[in-house]
Amino acid sequence: MKAIELSGIAFGYDERLLFEGFNLDIDAGEFLGVIGPNGAGKSTLLRLVAGLLRPSRGSIRIGERDLGVLNRREVARAVGVVLQENPFAFDYTVSDVVMMGRNPYLGRFQSPGKQDRGAVNSSLEFVDALFLRDKRINAISAGERQRVVLARALAQEPGILMLDEATSHLDIAHQQLIARILVQLNRRGKTVVFLSHDLNLAALYCSRILLLDRGKAIACDVPERVITAELIRSVYGVEPIVTRHPESGRPQVMLPVAAAGRE
Amino acid sequence: MGSGVLGSRSGEDPCRPRFVCAAALAIVIMVVGCGNRPAAETGLRVVSLVPSVTEIVYAVGAGKVLVGNTNQCNFPEAARSVYKVGDFMTPDLERIVALRPGLVFLALPIHRQLLDKLNEMRVPVYVSRPADIPAVLKEIDTVASLLGRKAQGESLVVVMRRRLDSIPAFADTPRVYVEISGTPLMTAGGGTFINELLARAGGRNVFASSLQEYPVVDPEAVLKADPEVILLLHPDMSAQDVAVRIGWGGISAVKHSRIYGRLNEDLLFRPGPRIVDGVVLLAKLLHPGQ
Amino acid sequence: MQRRLLPGWVGLILLLVSAAALSVAVGPGGFTNFRAVMDLRLLRLALGIIAGGVLAVVGASLQGLLQNPLADPFTMGVASGAALGASLTLVLGRTAGAFAPVGGFAGALVTMLVVYALARVRGRVTVTGLVLAGVIMSFLFSSLVILVMILGRRTLGEAVYMMMGHLGAIFTGTTVWLFGGVAVLAVVGCAWLFSMSRSLDIMSSGEEAAETLGVDTQRVTKTVFVISSVLVGVVVSFTGAISFVGLVVPHLVRMLFGPEHRRVLPGSFVAGAGILLLSDVLARNIVPGGLPLSIVTALVGVPFFIYLLRSRL
Repeated sequence: MKAIELSGIAFGYDERLLFEGFNLDIDAGEFLGVIGPNGAGKSTLLRLVAGLLRPSRGSIRIGERDLGVLNRREVARAVGVVLQENPFAFDYTVSDVVMMGRNPYLGRFQSPGKQDRGAVNSSLEFVDALFLRDKRINAISAGERQRVVLARALAQEPGILMLDEATSHLDIAHQQLIARILVQLNRRGKTVVFLSHDLNLAALYCSRILLLDRGKAIACDVPERVITAELIRSVYGVEPIVTRHPESGRPQVMLPVAAAGRE
Repeated sequence: MGSGVLGSRSGEDPCRPRFVCAAALAIVIMVVGCGNRPAAETGLRVVSLVPSVTEIVYAVGAGKVLVGNTNQCNFPEAARSVYKVGDFMTPDLERIVALRPGLVFLALPIHRQLLDKLNEMRVPVYVSRPADIPAVLKEIDTVASLLGRKAQGESLVVVMRRRLDSIPAFADTPRVYVEISGTPLMTAGGGTFINELLARAGGRNVFASSLQEYPVVDPEAVLKADPEVILLLHPDMSAQDVAVRIGWGGISAVKHSRIYGRLNEDLLFRPGPRIVDGVVLLAKLLHPGQ
Repeated sequence: MQRRLLPGWVGLILLLVSAAALSVAVGPGGFTNFRAVMDLRLLRLALGIIAGGVLAVVGASLQGLLQNPLADPFTMGVASGAALGASLTLVLGRTAGAFAPVGGFAGALVTMLVVYALARVRGRVTVTGLVLAGVIMSFLFSSLVILVMILGRRTLGEAVYMMMGHLGAIFTGTTVWLFGGVAVLAVVGCAWLFSMSRSLDIMSSGEEAAETLGVDTQRVTKTVFVISSVLVGVVVSFTGAISFVGLVVPHLVRMLFGPEHRRVLPGSFVAGAGILLLSDVLARNIVPGGLPLSIVTALVGVPFFIYLLRSRL
C-alpha cells in the first residue's frame, strides 16, 4: 500500500519551475530519508505533501485519497509534521502545546476529553518528556522542545510523520534520542519521512534514501546504492570518503581534509 | 508714476506751450495728490496675513496698497480678488517675498516661524495681537497710521466707540453657553474674544472661569451650568439637533428654545472693524425686544 | 494554572463593578437635575463598557493571530481609518444625527479593504503582510485626520480628541438606537472571536505549524480581521481612537490567567471595560474640563508596559 504518491508534480515559487513532472512513491511503513544540497527542494517537497503548498500540475495522494479533496483536518489526521523552526509567541505549557495536536479531532466548541488527555500523555511518554508536562514551552532546552513538538505531531495520531531537519541544531545525545524514537515509531507501523542535511544519520536509520538535486530525483534506493562516492560527488561537488558503519555496515560519509588552492 | 510728459523736446515750437502746460498741470496734480498721501505710501506694498487686519486696511480706505492676502481674507468683496499667498494658517513664504512687500501684517503665535524668517530678511512686519476690544481699537489706529490714513482710522474708531456706548445697560445678564464644536463638546473660555463680546452684549459666558482658550467640556458641566441661551458656532449644527440631545431637555435654553445657530462667525471671531457688529448681533439675540 | 483563576476573575469583576459605580457616582455635573445627569452617565457607562471590552478583546485576538505581543487595533490601521471617516463627516458638515458613526464605520471598512488588498500575495493573505500594510495605513490615516481637520478649519483641539479618544459622545434619540445596535454587534463579534480561541492558540505557533495541525489559517485570518475591523470601526466612530487599552490589557490578563485564549478573551473584555471606565473617571475629574482618554491610558499603560518589559528580560 502506498502511503504517499506524487504524480507529475509541477511547482515553482516564481515563473521558473522547481519541480517538473516529478514522481515519487512512498510505501506504508517506510522510513524514507530525503537528502540533497540547499535549494534542492526538500522543504518544498515536504510542504507539498503536507498540503501547505499547492502544485500547479499533478496530483498527490495520501493513502489512496487525493490531497486536493481533503480538508485541513483530514490531512492533519493523516500526516503529522515537525518543522525546523518552532517559535512560540506566548508561553504555553508543554501539555497545552501537545494538546494542540488533538485539534483535528476536536469540534469547534468541544473541550478536550479523557481520550485526548490520554493521547497527550502517551505522546509525551513516548518521547520521554512526560516530566516536562507543566513547564513553560519557552523555559525548556532546545532538545526538550524538539521532543515536545514531536509529541504534538504524535498526538495527531497520524499514519505518516514528516520531519524537516529535526535534529540539525541538537547535540549528538539528542540526535540519537530522536533517531531512536523515530525507529520505534517506524517499527510500530508509522511511515516516517526524514529530511536531513546529515547524510550519516539518514544512512544509518532509513530504509530508503531519496537524493534530490534541483527538483530532480537523482536516486531513490537503499542507502548502500545512494550513498556512493560517485553520486555524492556529482550532486554535492565534494570528494567523499565512503566507509561502512562498524556495527550495521551502513555506508557512512567522511570528508577529506580540505586542500588549499582547490576551487 | 505720474511724472507726466516732462521729457519734452526743445525746438518744436507749435507744441511747446502745450507741453509746458501739461507738465505744470502734472506737477500741480502731483503736489495736491501727495498732500494727502505721504511719500512713504506711494510705493508701499503691503501683504496681510491676518483677515481681521485686511478688513481694517479696507475700512480705512487703503485697500489699494494690498498686494497679497490669505484665502481667508474674504471681506470686503474687494479683498477676495487680491493675490493669495496661501492660507491664514499656512502662508507661503516664497509667495510673500516674491511680492517685494514693504510691510507684512501677521499674527502670533501662529506665524512665529514666518516672523523669524522675515526678521532675518529685514522685511518690516507688524504683529497683530489684540486681546480685547480696546486693543482692537488701538490696532485700528496703529494700522491706519502705518498706512498714512491716520485721520480715517481715528474717525472709524470714534464711530465704533459711539456704537458701543449706545448699547444700553440691560436689565438681565443671561447665562450663555457658547459651543465651538460638538464632537467633543468644546466651548470658549475666559481669555477669548467671544467671551468679551458676550460681556459687552450683556451676557455671561458660563465657562468664563476656564483657563484654557477653547476647553473641551463634559456635557454634565453644561447641565450643571444650566445656560439660558446657547450659541452654536460650528457650521451646520442646527438648533433642532441640540434640542434632541439626550439629557439636555432640562436645560433652560432648550426648554425656552433659545438656541441660536447659523450665525456669521466672522463677526464674532475677527478682532477687526466689524467687532461692533458682532456685539450688536449678540445683544439682539440675548435681549430680544430691548 | 488553576490556582490563579478564581481570584483573578473575582479581581477583574470587582474592578469592573467598582469602576462602573465610580463612573456613575462621580462627575462634574454633581447631582443637579438627577435624571438628566443619570441619563448621561449611564450612556457613558454603556459606551465605556463596550469600547473598553471590544478594544481589549480585539487586541488580544490580534496578538494571537499576528503572533505578536505588540499588536493592537491600531496595528491594523483600522482605528485610524475609522477616525478619518468620522473626521471627514465632521468636516463635511454632517455632524447632525447619525452620520458621524456611519462615517467612522465606512472609514474602517475602506481601511480594511485597502489593507487586505495590500497584504494579498497570490491570493493568500499573510500575517506579515497584514502587519506591514496596517502600520503603513495607520500612519497615513493618522496624518490625514490632522490634515482634514486643518483644511476643514477645525481647531486642532478637535483633531486631538479624535485621535486621543473620549467617552463624552452626545446622543440623540436616533443615535441611541444606533448605539444599541452597535452594542449588540459588539457582543456578537466578541462571542464569535471567543469561539475561535483554540485556533488562535494554535496560530500563535506560526501559520505553517497551525496549518499542519488542521487549522484553516486563511479562514481564521480573514474572519478575525473582518470582525476586528468592524468592531473597532464602530466603536471608534463613537469614541475616537483610544490607545493602549487594546495593547496592555491582554498582557495583564495573560499574567493572571496564562495565554489560553478561551480565558484571555473574556478576561480581556471585563478588564478592558473596567480599566477604561477607571481611566475615564480619572480623566473627567482630575482636571476641570477633562483630559483626552488616551493621555490617561498612556500614563497608566506606559509604566505598566515598562514593568512587563523588564520582567521578561
